[in-house]
Amino acid sequence: MRFALMITLVLDIMTTAAILFIVSAGLLIVFGVMKIINFAHASFITVGAYAALVASRLGLPPMLAPAMAFLAGGLIGAAAERVVVRRLYGRPLDAILATWGLSIVIGQLVTLAFGREVQFVPAPVSGTVMILGEDYSGYRLLMVLAAIVIAAFFTGLLNGTRLGLSTRAVIMNETLAQGLGIDSTRVRLITFGIGCGLAAIAGALITPLASVDPSMGLSWLIGAFMLVMISGGSLLTLGLSCFVLGGLQVLASTFISPILGGLTIAVLAAVALRLRPEGFARA
Amino acid sequence: MASVSLPGLPSWLIRIGLPSIVAMLLVIAGPWILDTYMLNILARALFVAIAALTVDILWGFSGTLTFGQSAFFGIGAYALAIGFTQFGFGPWQALLALGAALGLAAAVAGFVGWLAFYPGSTPLYASVISLVLPIVVVQLLYSGGSFTGSSSGLVGFESFDLSLEGWFRLAGIAVVAMLVVASIALSSDAGRVLSAMRDNDERCTYLGIDTSLVRISLTVITGTIAALAGFGYVGFSGVAAPENASFVFGTQLVVMVALGGRGTLIGAVVGALVIEVASAYLSSSLPFVWELIVGLAFVAVIVVLPGGLFGSLRDASIALRRRFAAAPARASSPVALATLEHTAAAPDRDDVVVEADHVSRHFGSLSVLSGVSFTARRGELVSIVGPNGAGKTTLIRCLADGRERSEGTVRIGGRPIDRLAPDRIVGLGLGRKFQAASVFETLSVADCLRIARVRIEPPSFIQASPVLALPAAARAVVESSGLAERLGEEARFLSHGLKQALELAMVLALEPQVLLLDEPTAGLTRVERQGFASVLTALVTRERLCVLIIEHDLDFVRQISSRIILLHQGRVALDGPAADVVGDPLIREIYTGNKRPRGGELTT
Amino acid sequence: MPLSRSLSTMLAAAACTTLLAAPALAADPIKIGVPVGLSGANSVVAPSVVQSAQLAIDEINAKGGVLGRQLALEVADDGSGAAGAQKAFDSLVFQKKVDVLISMETSAARNAGLPIVARGKVPYIYTSFYEGKSCSPFMYVNAWVPEQQVPPIVDYFNKEKGAKKFFLIGSDYAFGRGMLAFTKAYIEKTGGKVVGEEYLPMDGSDWTPIISKLKSAAPDALITSTAGGAPNVTLTKQLRAAGVALPYGNLAVDEGTAKSMGTDAEGIYLSASYVTGIDSAANKTFLAAMQKKFGAELKTPNDLSVPEYEAVYAYKAAAEKAGSTEEAKVLKALGEISVEGPRGKIEMSKQHHAPLTMYLGQVQADGTVKVIKSFPSVDPGPQCPNLKS
Repeated sequence: MRFALMITLVLDIMTTAAILFIVSAGLLIVFGVMKIINFAHASFITVGAYAALVASRLGLPPMLAPAMAFLAGGLIGAAAERVVVRRLYGRPLDAILATWGLSIVIGQLVTLAFGREVQFVPAPVSGTVMILGEDYSGYRLLMVLAAIVIAAFFTGLLNGTRLGLSTRAVIMNETLAQGLGIDSTRVRLITFGIGCGLAAIAGALITPLASVDPSMGLSWLIGAFMLVMISGGSLLTLGLSCFVLGGLQVLASTFISPILGGLTIAVLAAVALRLRPEGFARA
Repeated sequence: MASVSLPGLPSWLIRIGLPSIVAMLLVIAGPWILDTYMLNILARALFVAIAALTVDILWGFSGTLTFGQSAFFGIGAYALAIGFTQFGFGPWQALLALGAALGLAAAVAGFVGWLAFYPGSTPLYASVISLVLPIVVVQLLYSGGSFTGSSSGLVGFESFDLSLEGWFRLAGIAVVAMLVVASIALSSDAGRVLSAMRDNDERCTYLGIDTSLVRISLTVITGTIAALAGFGYVGFSGVAAPENASFVFGTQLVVMVALGGRGTLIGAVVGALVIEVASAYLSSSLPFVWELIVGLAFVAVIVVLPGGLFGSLRDASIALRRRFAAAPARASSPVALATLEHTAAAPDRDDVVVEADHVSRHFGSLSVLSGVSFTARRGELVSIVGPNGAGKTTLIRCLADGRERSEGTVRIGGRPIDRLAPDRIVGLGLGRKFQAASVFETLSVADCLRIARVRIEPPSFIQASPVLALPAAARAVVESSGLAERLGEEARFLSHGLKQALELAMVLALEPQVLLLDEPTAGLTRVERQGFASVLTALVTRERLCVLIIEHDLDFVRQISSRIILLHQGRVALDGPAADVVGDPLIREIYTGNKRPRGGELTT
Repeated sequence: MPLSRSLSTMLAAAACTTLLAAPALAADPIKIGVPVGLSGANSVVAPSVVQSAQLAIDEINAKGGVLGRQLALEVADDGSGAAGAQKAFDSLVFQKKVDVLISMETSAARNAGLPIVARGKVPYIYTSFYEGKSCSPFMYVNAWVPEQQVPPIVDYFNKEKGAKKFFLIGSDYAFGRGMLAFTKAYIEKTGGKVVGEEYLPMDGSDWTPIISKLKSAAPDALITSTAGGAPNVTLTKQLRAAGVALPYGNLAVDEGTAKSMGTDAEGIYLSASYVTGIDSAANKTFLAAMQKKFGAELKTPNDLSVPEYEAVYAYKAAAEKAGSTEEAKVLKALGEISVEGPRGKIEMSKQHHAPLTMYLGQVQADGTVKVIKSFPSVDPGPQCPNLKS
């Protein structure tokens, strides 16, 4: 029985880390490029979840749900950048507040459109997979795959495309990049849109595991925020942080209590930030 | 110090006394005018307003954005609920619960403050900690089983036997009292320190103020007050739920303060009352539209109208007054200058007051300073020169901040600085003036100077002193630069040269033994530079200060220095009397980079 | 989206009923306050509760109302929790000044509302099953308590499934803990053993570590008592996703929620005082009326919503017996009247609680509940010995 518990634990840790990564990646991209924290991230997760809900109501194939979510999140995010966020570069604390206000607005619009009750999306992949003698949730394992795909896609985008090159230039030295003719305003717009779209994809992916209601994104916000803060600007470090802190969360939840386990990420990240305020990325 | 009568008192009374009397009357008359439901909501809203006031003090006045005041509110709330559930109700139990609320809140606040405000911490980190706190508290409440009621909260305990009207009046009086006390404290000299810290934390540290300690103390005070508010809230409502301590409630407090107007105190109260009352009435009819409006208003306020309602009103009235008033706007009441009498005359001896011994500063493998050793005495004006990148500013930092250097020892006034923080080194007699004029933008000239005196003369918590007493050297600078006519003006409206003069006066107000100046003549006109030169010379000869000055203008250097130290690539290349160093061919070599002298004057 | 439209239609209908009724009669309407979890954990079942209340009020009004006055519906959202309940109850009792409160709520919400009920001196009929032993002179309960609901399931698992080792999972609040405390005691009394007991906060949705513990404890049967609604669904979904196929007794699920779980709910055992399959004339009439009134927007009537329907009739009976809507008289009458509803004859005569016929059932693949056994007139036991009647 101990071996079985260990297998389950390892799988729990891997899948939890994957889910945390998917949820946080969008926030990291925005923070890395634009140096501001998008507190509306939670509401974009919610937007993505409701997009998945709409997709399942319309009877669309489940693979389309993340795509619809990305579109919805990306467009709303780009609009938000244009109208609100653009004015707040250089005022990071005010950016946190304004994006929090934005999340209230988006949340209320979602409630007006869909009602405030809890709703459900069926899982596209049901059933279990046998791993080393243990039945494990197939959908959770799929999350690991999804996290790898997302990481690979965005690393490829950043390193292999012209947009990615411009983005990296803006990350390193915006003034210089502008001086070289890179339209940093457009880079920021696209980045914010992508970050919000990614949050929406996360929302669409996690709904089959839980439920959909207008404030569902909130429980993910603080965890994602803390993970991004300690990761500096690097996707790789984010993956590592998700693994380490997510793993500790699972261990705490299993061996101490699920309630205190929920604290692990926030508390440990705060301590880690105290030790190394700039985060742990080498870049 | 010459004592002067206090002309400021009557206007102070009018500004605060009259509105508070009106408010008290409203509070007492309230129950006769309003219906039961409204009284119910307002009683609760008034306790929430107290919590909102603490957010305004922390955010609007001292610049720390906090989402965590809800956690202290919850601590007070649950202390009462748990106390009365476990021990029943009675005077002893009430006192015990109150003590627990205050004690626990103070302890948690102290810990959180220590965690958030370590030297070198950023405002963002402090906000992060304030985010994590309510989450930790709520999770602890959830894990408390039937002791804390977990998700259900605690209900059904017996509480104070006060009528609805009584609670309303109690809460109302508490709010008015807090407004009065906070107004007085925050517009006093001590309260100005908070604004100074918000404007320019580094300058405060280099004026000898331990900003971490001030912030931690403020956290403890506001945390305790918020706990009291929570205590009252649950004492009245009879229900303690985890929502009372939650992050969401903490953000609602921030929204209330932002909409009402941060930094205005009354804005926090009005914001809290309006939002609580409106959401109670509208939550049945148009719940979503109401919250949508609040969200939109909040975004609009943050982006385009940072002052909120009362802040914008205040700015508008100042703008109107400026348009129609003849005299330029005053930031504070009129101030009279006075000179401090020295009890001891300036010493004649030539003590060594600065000693640097093999000071080095590395960044990994990059060595910015190596093996820098020199001494400086009273009455010496030592110029530190060298091309860009020689390490001059780094050297100043190593002298002023004990944590900066990698190796070596530094002694100021004969005492080693070890790893002391800058505010403690100021206490050893060091004053540092920055290259870019570092003053307090939103404070008046007089207030800036007052802040500089805080380390030596603890400020009043009650009044804004109408007399500004300065040591002779500082006063001389204030009068000769023309600042004496502009004591009431906000520092941000001064010209560059005047700001530099103000900063110099502030540093001199510290009564330092050693003065560190970083490129003080940059951007000054020729006339201003001459004036500055004579000021420095007077300081050195009359006050027997030791002045170390980083400069590029070699003419200026040659004119005023008694000694010149030439730094090159992190090492001392030359160190001697001014005439010798200036004539040395090495100095030309280093500045021009080649061995043949170019001939003629060397200016940079 | 259909759901919010139907809710606003209901509220509009309620408003219209109030507006139209008022000028038509000399007397003003009797207001029935329904604080219920329109948001939060209970939001899955709340619409069905409001529909039940709506139907009962419409039927009564069509026959002339109560004591010559029409009934009006006032709904308020209690957020499924203590803080929201405080606001909802305050608004209903002191602002809308309702004559009676009739509702289904989480135990957290009920506990927070009771002091306000006492302060406002308003009769309160609590229509939700709960963990028992909540007592107030102002409150009557017409739904089941653990003494009525738990034994059928545990006995069935014990005798028919041979289960000796049980694992318990619940939501961490009064109901979750109360139900499982009773269950644990009953299991041990009947010779079984509890090998694990785990809780999550009411709005928690990640059951992963608990499910892992469940698997490693290898019990014979699982019994859960989460907050009704969302936590039920998330737990069941995650259990099925993890491949858990044990005999699964859910103490807190209703037929409507089971339907919304889809195929995940198949095989769940439940014990209820109402299932749609009850073969009685009263039930059939009731279901037909609900179908006619709400059509495609009908939410499956269930064990949390049908008591609401009967409670409105109970209030009618009590007010008519007392001859007035005055609180003290109505409260006395509530313990003396009886109502014939879809669940049979309901009297809140045992210390403010009601003996009920209980049905042990199993959820089928299409979401309906097949009745395995029924137990007539089960006594609630000594719930409130200090209350008279």
